[in-house]
Amino acid sequence: MDQAILQVNHLSKSFGTHEVLRDIDFTVKKGDVTSVIGASGSGKSTLLRCINLLETPSSGEILYHGKNVVGRGVNQPEYRSHVGMVFQSFNLFNNMTVLENCVVGQVQVLKRDKESARKTAMEYLEKVGMAPYIHAKPRQISGGQKQRVAIARALALDPEVLLFDEPTSALDPEMVGEVLGVMQRLAQEGMTMLVVTHEMAFARDVSNHVVYMNQGVICEEGAPKDLFGAPQKQQTKDFLARFRQN
Amino acid sequence: MEILIQLVSDIGKLWAKYGASYLSGMRSTLILALVATAIGCVIGFVCGVLNTIPYAPGDSPVKKFFLKLIRVIVRIYVEVFRGTPMVLQAVFLYYGLPYFTNGATRFESVWAAAILVVSINTGAYMAESVRGGIISVDPGQTEGAKAIGMTHVQTMTHVILPQALRNIMPQIGNNFIINVKDTSVMFIIGFPEFFSAHKAAVGTSYLYFPSATVEMIGYLSMTLIASFLLRWLEKKMDGSSDYELVQVDPLVMTAGTYSHPDKGTPFDEQSREYKGKKHRSNRGEH
Repeated sequence: MDQAILQVNHLSKSFGTHEVLRDIDFTVKKGDVTSVIGASGSGKSTLLRCINLLETPSSGEILYHGKNVVGRGVNQPEYRSHVGMVFQSFNLFNNMTVLENCVVGQVQVLKRDKESARKTAMEYLEKVGMAPYIHAKPRQISGGQKQRVAIARALALDPEVLLFDEPTSALDPEMVGEVLGVMQRLAQEGMTMLVVTHEMAFARDVSNHVVYMNQGVICEEGAPKDLFGAPQKQQTKDFLARFRQN
Repeated sequence: MEILIQLVSDIGKLWAKYGASYLSGMRSTLILALVATAIGCVIGFVCGVLNTIPYAPGDSPVKKFFLKLIRVIVRIYVEVFRGTPMVLQAVFLYYGLPYFTNGATRFESVWAAAILVVSINTGAYMAESVRGGIISVDPGQTEGAKAIGMTHVQTMTHVILPQALRNIMPQIGNNFIINVKDTSVMFIIGFPEFFSAHKAAVGTSYLYFPSATVEMIGYLSMTLIASFLLRWLEKKMDGSSDYELVQVDPLVMTAGTYSHPDKGTPFDEQSREYKGKKHRSNRGEH
């Protein structure tokens, strides 16, 4: 169980002269549910996008089962198919139905045959409660429903780890619950997850590891009960205090 | 009133004598416009895709050089054929080929020449439209496709281009209608299109205005039907505006139980029992 899937070493990222991430180190082990919290602009999302290579890190390395995936000569699509990603803005394919969204990756990337891809897609759509909507187009369903389909689309590829980039930030308050519920169920089933979130209750109750980021560095990390119950650093205390007031 | 009756009778006279030539002109015009727009779209898509291949700062210099070279070539093509009159391009190519080969090769038929000229002309316009169509697709779509491990080509063919095609449908329609009208300049190389029927008719009958009226009505009806069909096609591409909820899905049994492709169903015995049968269904097994 103690097997490290992803290991981030000395990761830095700059946009021009602006340093967004500085010397980030952390590890994602199998079965971990890690929440990354922090103020907007602290580099949480950039970290996640670097891990999925949607951004190219300026320096440092990302080890996937011990192999560096940063730099030339890496089969990026192959790596990405093992690391699922759920976006803040869903990014469902607008030209496809809900079912096609979940099938296309399996057929094109994993080269599964259409029938088994359809079965797998249905299995996961059922799991997120979207099976009745398989013929709908993304523009015809609500934000919460879109996000659940996006989760099913990522799961259909059987990824080893699932990255969530503020999955509930673009949703109306009443839709947040349905998405968090699905994520909680996944966590209970042992899915390895890395979640960038503003939902403190989720970070505290569902994850087993919390990372607090501040201005591009990991300020503090630890088990949720330690980090929320007895934060060590002043910045962490201030950040959590601001959240309690809201 | 009398003059109108005169006009109608003149048109009647013209139609009796040259009706067949008008109709065959219309047919040629439509075929040329249709084929050339289709080929032009293909050229435009190829150019648009080549023009939007991304390169990252970390890529090898060879790749960067080739991508830049491709962009320059496409750019020159677009600027040359968008920036000169089609009537001139027709003359230039039709007479240029025998000129350069000392008469050894020439266009076997005016059809080939006409289709070539109109296609590359349309392609030049479409290249820019396609580029715009690709840019107009939300970058999130590309990220979504990449995140599930699609390559650039897969992302393009399955996600971006279908949406870009929908976005530029009005542009394709525009080009088709322009082609219906502008193929009239192909008379310059002797292509038998609709307008050349007018020239032939008035050459012997001298009924200039009545024949022009026939031409006006003919062109207008072709373009009106074309725009009607294009609207219909666009609606069809959008798909139906509502969807059916699937209440009983063939793959789902009772809530919470699934038929996994490898593990089978939770009702294992029934699973085995059904394996041997041709039509395996999960419904009605209880």
